[in-house]
Amino acid sequence: MIKINNLSKTYSTGSFTVPALRGISLEIARGEFVAITGASGSGKSTLMNLLGLLDRPSAGSYILDGIDVSGLNDDEYARLRNRKIGFVFQAFNLLPRLTALKNVELPMLYAGVGLTERRTRAMEELTRLGLKERIHHFPSELSGGQNQRVAIARALANDPAIVLADEPTGALDSQTGVEIMSIFQELNRNGTTIVLVTHELDIACHSQRIIRLEDGLLISDEKVTAPLDAGKEMRSPAEQGDVQ
Amino acid sequence: MNIGELVLVAIESIKSNRLRSFLTTLGIVIGIAAVIAVVGIGQGGRAMLMQEMEKFGTNLFGIWVNYQEGETMRPGDLQMTDITIIKEKVPQVKYLAPATYEKMQLRGEKGQKSVQIIGTNADYAQIRNLKTRWGRFIRSDDAAAGRRVIVLDEKTAQNLFGSGNPVGKRVMLMNNSAVVVGVIKNDSSTLGFSSQQIAYLPWSFLTRLTDRDIIHEFQGSAVSKEEVEPAMNLSKKILERRHNSPDHYFAYSMEQEMEAANKVTGIMTLIIGCIAGISLLVGGIGVMNIMLVSVTERTREIGIRMALGARRRDILVQFIIESIVLCLLGGLIGIILGYGGAMLIARLAKWPPLVSWWTIVVAFIFSMAVGLFFGIYPANQASKLDPIEALRRD
Ligand SMILES: Nc1ncnc2c1ncn2[C@@H]1O[C@H](COP(=O)(O)OP(=O)(O)O)[C@@H](O)[C@H]1O
Ligand SMILES: [Mg+2]
Repeated sequence: MIKINNLSKTYSTGSFTVPALRGISLEIARGEFVAITGASGSGKSTLMNLLGLLDRPSAGSYILDGIDVSGLNDDEYARLRNRKIGFVFQAFNLLPRLTALKNVELPMLYAGVGLTERRTRAMEELTRLGLKERIHHFPSELSGGQNQRVAIARALANDPAIVLADEPTGALDSQTGVEIMSIFQELNRNGTTIVLVTHELDIACHSQRIIRLEDGLLISDEKVTAPLDAGKEMRSPAEQGDVQ
Repeated sequence: MNIGELVLVAIESIKSNRLRSFLTTLGIVIGIAAVIAVVGIGQGGRAMLMQEMEKFGTNLFGIWVNYQEGETMRPGDLQMTDITIIKEKVPQVKYLAPATYEKMQLRGEKGQKSVQIIGTNADYAQIRNLKTRWGRFIRSDDAAAGRRVIVLDEKTAQNLFGSGNPVGKRVMLMNNSAVVVGVIKNDSSTLGFSSQQIAYLPWSFLTRLTDRDIIHEFQGSAVSKEEVEPAMNLSKKILERRHNSPDHYFAYSMEQEMEAANKVTGIMTLIIGCIAGISLLVGGIGVMNIMLVSVTERTREIGIRMALGARRRDILVQFIIESIVLCLLGGLIGIILGYGGAMLIARLAKWPPLVSWWTIVVAFIFSMAVGLFFGIYPANQASKLDPIEALRRD
């Protein structure tokens, strides 16, 4: 699914340069649930942006779903982002002036899906994430957890090959964070490949594999022997979330 | 993504910030409204002017003596025989009448009044399109029979005899008397050309009264609009030859006057149109300014759209369409306001409201072009943003 080889990224700000990634090689297979962790500034977001085709590496190769992306132009990048990648951000990044439904429709709009199909699919996606009653609400009328679920619905809209989530629980309280993790686990059980960036170890432990970065280098890559089950965590404390 | 979708996106975004959108497009509203109103008023005014000038008579021309400085009027420069000969030799001339002007005090049963006297013949009524209220105009046999007759206009008749038909009554003038044979209708000219009170005498009668054998002017009409030029030029040539005095005569036609008037209103429309055009330009710059602000404000939105798969082209087109839709809405409001303004002024000035469909089409296309032109730069700025930079902005 993902194969990167010796990927590096150097930012140059004015006179001096910052090496954010210094030669990273790794492979992620279809259906995996991978967490990338590391201290702040270790290069997690940089790696995520490269994987998400939002940025171009300074050196190294990247093969996404069998496509070597190094020779592609901006339009082809946009097209691949649209079809193969679903983003979930820490700050949700929903368009504030659009309703939940319209936000979820956006990726399909850029994929050229017709209005009725777009609407139906967005509705289905939101219903699946327990937001059936909220489809006509604006982001400002929804809680953090609900907003992140809208963002996940949006990430899934074009049925992407991979979901990239950069600190998706960073702006949420721990209980809502667990809720979101349970959604990711559920998605992963249904076959979605997920790459999650987090600096919190207890969040990372919901994945099957943890990759650790330090100063732009990959320092460990370990299988999680017994991943935490977010569904169980939610049920064990007294109150229950409204996630199915 | 097709254009229809992009238009919807643009409308959505314009709707979500109504007040600002309206203020942004206000320059366009005012510009377009001004253009429509000015053009409408100009065209209406011109139409009315033409209408008024038609009332003087169609295919009208006149010939004067072209006196040089210091020259005094000579009797015999224009003669009654000239009229006969011109009518004989120039088939393009349909009617030709002498006109001699005097100011006289007229006295009737009920009052007196100083009025403009025109000494002329039967053709004059045809040339100047005069309509009788009562009786008749001067006839060709009046002069031959030496009849002492007078034709009044309605107002003068009112002054001299009160209301009612004065035909058959006597008017005293210059210690003589004349019989009223007809009354001419005063037409209601809005331009005020016919506010003057006029009485008509057979030319021969007038010369006998004043004892001065003089004709101030010939007035004539041609058989058709196309024949006005040849009619007046040939008449002039005959006069020059008969009196053996080249360049002694001066001919003019209503057509020429109309053209001159047309030119004046045309230039006025052009000048005011230019001013309106400048206000449109300023409006367009306003739109560009706000679009640039909007691009800066919506940097994050642009980043999000790019992350979700929008190509640079999609962003470019989105902002251009937004600018066009904004200007079109402004143009639409401007058309309505301008049309209303033109109608209002036309009603107040009592002239036909004329906002032609092509003015509206041009205004529409123009506001679209303004939107396109002034939207390109901000839209290009938006499409050149780096997605990561844009996403980081808040
Ligand atoms: N646009 C940029 N310009 C310059 N330096 C940057 C830029 N983005 C990130 N960096 C630097 O690259 C390094 C890695 O950053 P980042 O990938 O955001 O780390 P993380 O997400 O793990 O906190 C940091 O030292 C950061 O300061
Ligand atoms: Mg980060």
